Formats: sequence, structure tokens, C-alpha cells
Amino acid sequence: MARKWLRWLPAVTVPAVIAGGVLAGSLPASAVDPLPAKTPEQVLQLIAQHREAALSGTLEQSSELGLPELPQAGPGAGSSETAWLELLTGPHTARVYLDGTDKRVQVMDRFAERNAIRHGNELWFYNSKDNTAAHVQLPAGAADRHAATEGTVPTPEELAGKLLAKLDPGTDVSVGPDIEVAGRTAYQLLLTPQSAATLLASVAVYVDGQSGLPLGVELKSRGQSDPAFRTVFTSLKLEAPDASVFAFTPPPGAAVKEIPAPTHQAEGATPPSGKESKDARRSTVTGSGWEAVVELPAGTGESMSGAAALLQQAAVPVPGGRLLSTALVNVLILDDGRVFAGSVPLERLQAAAVPR
Amino acid sequence: MLCALAAIPVLIAVAVRVSSAVPPGRGPAFLDRITQNGLFVGVTAMLVSVPLFLPLTVGVVAGDTVAGEAGMGTLRYLLVAPAGRIRLLLVKYAGAAVFVVVAPLVVALVGAGIGAALFPVGPVTLLSGDRIGAGEAMGRLLLIAGYLTVSLLGLSAIGLFISTLTDVPVGAMAATVVLSVVSQVLDSLPQLQWLHPWLFSHYWLDFGDLLRQPVAWDSFASNALLQGGYLAVFGALAYGRFITKDVLS
Repeated sequence: MARKWLRWLPAVTVPAVIAGGVLAGSLPASAVDPLPAKTPEQVLQLIAQHREAALSGTLEQSSELGLPELPQAGPGAGSSETAWLELLTGPHTARVYLDGTDKRVQVMDRFAERNAIRHGNELWFYNSKDNTAAHVQLPAGAADRHAATEGTVPTPEELAGKLLAKLDPGTDVSVGPDIEVAGRTAYQLLLTPQSAATLLASVAVYVDGQSGLPLGVELKSRGQSDPAFRTVFTSLKLEAPDASVFAFTPPPGAAVKEIPAPTHQAEGATPPSGKESKDARRSTVTGSGWEAVVELPAGTGESMSGAAALLQQAAVPVPGGRLLSTALVNVLILDDGRVFAGSVPLERLQAAAVPR
Repeated sequence: MLCALAAIPVLIAVAVRVSSAVPPGRGPAFLDRITQNGLFVGVTAMLVSVPLFLPLTVGVVAGDTVAGEAGMGTLRYLLVAPAGRIRLLLVKYAGAAVFVVVAPLVVALVGAGIGAALFPVGPVTLLSGDRIGAGEAMGRLLLIAGYLTVSLLGLSAIGLFISTLTDVPVGAMAATVVLSVVSQVLDSLPQLQWLHPWLFSHYWLDFGDLLRQPVAWDSFASNALLQGGYLAVFGALAYGRFITKDVLS
């Protein structure tokens, strides 16, 4: 009888070995060689002085903003107006290639791909789902390599740059325990707004300990345990990608749209800030730092694109207007057409709306 | 069964040929590309057959391995021969594995053949918008067939184990096919996200990563690892069951 049980041994050991392997793999890897301790200022300096001009890597982005997930298939899915909105719901994987001013971002969907390619002064967008391409001829000397990401996911570097630009005395900056990102040991720079009147609970920026390159950004909102937005490299190589990666000619049969070069304006990495900057000339800002409320005058609502119209469906009626509530940004659309947006609770938006 | 699988690309090609142009974004992915390039018939056919047809045929073959012999009453004669049960089990699984290799290959090659016959063949536009020559595209097509082979190895191991449990081959086949459908249903429920990476059907539809430039190997690697795990677990289970089984028929 004992021998019979012996024969079941492989059937027991194999799952046990696999379970053991998985457990061992999922344990947080203790920092193999801990980074030298640094003050927040030194880490900020490390970011500021990094000179990584070339890299190729894979980004993973996930968002839990509380927005309804858009269908990835079916009518209306993947149209250019709603594309960026879709990027804010659900998880996405993208490959990023950088070399000097050349850049390519590939957002990998199932059986489809969205590409943004910057090669020299040419900017190409390609969407394999409907086989369309768009071309922008940038004016010579447009040096900012970060301008080519509209319609794709932002890299941690761009996002970190935007967030760190917001640093003010109202923010606690600290360095958390070392973290391992894409096989590299990284500093964890924690930004915590002191104000209680913002939806943002904390921001974590993962900074590569060697090069100072931001490897990931995590935004946490109040009252939500999962990060509201997170983008990190899952694999990264700090060497120049093959030059052929940046060479792009639209495939025959693709519908190519020629887009005039944009006048200089900041392209938003996250749509809310993008909207803010686009209408910056006409908008007014009350409050400062993380509690800033942006007011857009009446009439902006009329120019709403398909995406904004979709967003309006997600808005709920509140006294005096409609509220679009996400984990990080609240948008109040008043009945008279004015729009108030900010990373603050509804009450503060309403308070900002009253005096005028 | 191979004929039935071969009929899928033929059906697709003929249907696209006789009907009007397919607008992009409708129907299964790549369907609109067929009229420009016949090689996409193979890709589309594989895409269409992954959720049901391929698991169905694999389930039939794998479920039949041991239970089929038992059902016909020939299993005990096989065991009389001095070959040993382990060897019989290995040979039976090898037979199922050969089918798993051949089945996607048939779909791909028949698809490419009928596509070449009915539509122009030329450089292929990848998902990334880059173009590769027809020869390299053929290589990618075979690569996808290989990906599907790896994908289905786990299911065939499950089928082998179920097949050792029963003497009724139809029951083993049905149970295997039902399991593959259940796995895919679970995979589509967002509430069970923690479970998804553990489902053997999780990476089945990720072969599109092989159509990017440069090729994204991540899904291929994770798929191979997952299927290897299923192969080990259910292979061991099948071994334990078959070695200790009282063969009465």
C-alpha cells in the first residue's frame, strides 16, 4: 500500500515546487546592494543632472481613476477623439525607444498598436486598428523631444518633470526605502501635499540610483488603497536602440492625414492638465499648489470634442451643475457653462464658483 | 479533424473573395487586410480558430488518448506488452503533442496557400506600421503556429489526465473542451483579475505580439512558462493516476 502512495509523490511535489517557486519569486526582493543614503535634495539633483539620451524599455501603465472602462471593441471604440480617454482607463503596455531627439512610443493593444514616432523633425502617428496615419512636419529647431507623445502614454520622465515642476513649500518631500524597478535599484522620492484639501494623497517617483532617470511614477489618491495612476518600466535598457526603429513610412493603403505643425503650446501628458494648458489664455486659476482650481469661462463646453462629450455622460448632477468625479481630478460643469476643475473635493470647486 | 480545421481558412478566403470589401475595424482583426495580402488569411484563420476550434480538436484527441483504449477494451492488451505504463503514457502524450503541432500548422499553411491563390501576395504591413517581405512574413506565420502549439500543450496535458480518470472517451473529451471554455470565460471576468495569469488560456490570444516590429517576446516567454507549469502538474497527476490505476477493461 505504501508503494501506491509513493507513486502519487510526483503529483504532490510538482505543484508544491511550483507554488514554492512562485512564492519565492513574489517575495519583495531585498535590496541586493543598497544605494547610498541620499537626502531628498540630492535625489532631486540626481534627476536634474541625468543625461540619459538613449533608452529602450517597456512601460506598464495602470489607472484606477473611477472612470467607466471604455469598450476596446465595437462602434465608437478607438476613434481618435476618445483614444486618449481610453488610455486613462484600464491597463496598458507600451514600448518606448529614445535616442537623442528621436523617439518612438508603441502602445500595444491586443491585435492592434498605436505608434507615435519622432524622427528628426518629422512626427508620425499610426494606428493599426483603422490603418490611419497622421504626419506633422515640425519646424526646424523644435528641440523638445517630449513633444511627441500626444495620443500615447506618457513616460515616467515626462510625468515626473511635470509633477516636480509643481513642487512648492506646501509639499513634504522625503525619500522612501529603496525599490527595485525593471531590475534596477531605485530611490523612492515621496511627495506628500500638506494640504488636506486636495484629492491627491501622495506621489512616488522612482529614480534610478545610478543614472537618475525616473523609472516610474505612482499617484495615490485619498481613500483609495490602489494607486490611482501608476506607470513604471518593467524592462529597460540604457543603450541606443537600432536606428531602424525610428524610420517610418506609412504603409500603402493607409489613410494619411497631414496636420499643420502646432503653434508652441504645452501638450498635456494627462488630459486634465492638457486641457488646462490649452485654454490657459482664457482660464483663471484660484488657489495655488495642489489645491489650485482652474476656471474655464462659459463657451468652452461648446467646443467639446467626442471625448469630452463622453465624459459628460459620466458626470452626475449636483446642485448648480454637473460633477465629473475621478480619483484625482474633479470637474464641475455649471449650468451657465463655466467649468471648474481641480484636484480638490467638490465643496472647494463650489466655493470657487460662488464669488463670481 | 485536420480537414475540418483546413476548411476554416478556405471558408474565410472564399467569403471575403465573393463579398464586397470589408471596412476596417469590423469583424475579426486583420479581416480587412486580406484583400490586400493573401497571407493574412492564415493569421485571420488562426485568430478565429483559437477560442473554440483548436481547443475542440485538441480536446478530442487528448481526451481520447487513454480513455479511448479503455473504452474499446484494448487498454489491458496494451499493458500486457512489456513496455510499461510510463512509456505508454509518454507515447500517448507524444501522439497528442504531434497533433498539437500539426493542427495550427495546417490552419496557417492552408490559409497562406488559399490566400496566395485568391489574393495578391506581397510585403506585409505589421501592427507597428512597418513592412516586411513575404518570406519573412511566412516566417512570422510559422512562428504564430508555433506559439499556438505551445499554447495548446497545457490543454492537451489536462486532457491526458482527464482521460486517465475515466473509461468513457466522450466524457474525457467533453470535460477537456468544457474546461477550456470555462477558462476563457473566467479570463473575461474583470472581477477575477488575480486569477487571470494562472489560467491556461490567458495568453492564447496574445500571439499578435509576434506581429510587431521588433517582435515582443514577453508574451511568448510567459506563455511557455505557464504551459510548462500546466504540463508538469497535469503530467504528474496523470502519471500518479495511471500508475496506480486498476485497469479492468
